[in-house]
Amino acid sequence: MPSQAEIYQKVSATLVDALNVEQEEIKPTSTLQGDLGAESIDFLDIVFRLEREFGIKIPRNELFPESIFQGDPEFVQNGKVTAKGLEELRQKMPFADLSGFEKNPELSAISDLFTVEMIAKYIEGKLQNKK
Amino acid sequence: MRLKDQVAIVTGGSRGIGRGIVKAFAAEGAKVAVVYKGSQSAAESLVAEVGQAGGTAAAFQCDVADYDAAVKVVEAVEAKWGPIQIVVNNAGIIRDMLLVRMKPEDFDAVIRTNLHGTFNFCNALAMKLAQQRKGRIINISSVAAEHTNACQTNYAASKGAINSFTRALAIELAGRGVTVNAIAPGFIETDMSEAVRNKGGDLIKKLIPLKRLGQPDDIAKAAVFLASPDAAYITGQVITVDGGLSLGATAV
Repeated sequence: MPSQAEIYQKVSATLVDALNVEQEEIKPTSTLQGDLGAESIDFLDIVFRLEREFGIKIPRNELFPESIFQGDPEFVQNGKVTAKGLEELRQKMPFADLSGFEKNPELSAISDLFTVEMIAKYIEGKLQNKK
Repeated sequence: MRLKDQVAIVTGGSRGIGRGIVKAFAAEGAKVAVVYKGSQSAAESLVAEVGQAGGTAAAFQCDVADYDAAVKVVEAVEAKWGPIQIVVNNAGIIRDMLLVRMKPEDFDAVIRTNLHGTFNFCNALAMKLAQQRKGRIINISSVAAEHTNACQTNYAASKGAINSFTRALAIELAGRGVTVNAIAPGFIETDMSEAVRNKGGDLIKKLIPLKRLGQPDDIAKAAVFLASPDAAYITGQVITVDGGLSLGATAV
């Protein structure tokens, strides 16, 4: 299994190709949408490229879950993610770092969870399970 | 040569407007896949004609309404010439009749070939074009989408849907530098329009401000333009090529 550094290296190379950005723009905390300008088709492209690069299968809605809360008032109230919603997030995205988001869980900030290091962590988990 | 070394697919390429587009693309230096359903001899004679003129074309049999067949054609073209940059969704059929006479299968057949056929090739190619960050999708619509005749509920619906489809897909692919446009031909002298032309006679010419029927080459020139670097900043548009027919008036 590749080391953490190797995984990160490959993930950022994948993002350079998928998002047409410079290597220097990519930092572990860069957000895909906000910092790197990803649009919806780019998320799909990233998934395809990661699958090829790492020889894994990424089921739909696993790495980049869409509409996680589906407007359920138990999960979201007044534009904020509830405690139950946070629990749901932890379950669906165990590889995401929620520590910052938990302090001010605005629904609109949820896209900031999708960072370069989140992808690297997801891949690490996938490769570990594959062994 | 505006399309030098580009690889293009033209569905419904063996006859009519498609044939004109194949010849024009090949003359501009593209390698052109002629997708045909039943007209094998027409497709083969076209490939030979293009070859004699110094161009490159090859024929691929496929019913565009069959998704798996469309995917196979895309793979076969890539295997032959490498990545595809241009697709022209031109394959189309008519089954003109009053709605009260129309059977569900008459409606389905037209929607399946014209609309699903367009979806099938776009779907098979969109991610590839997006990953290349380069590509041109040209869908052949019709003035019938907006200025329709009786007996064409199925055809008009399919072409109206192609216009909407074109705009929606243009937005999805714009970030990747892939443009998606449509051409809406008017009365073009092809086998398909023959029945209508026979019925309409000289009246049709009188309705056309430019006083002549269109030729496949008139549409082909618009297609070459949309496929060329000159059209890099045009996306999500329906370009009408009809001699002014859709203006709905002639000079007095």
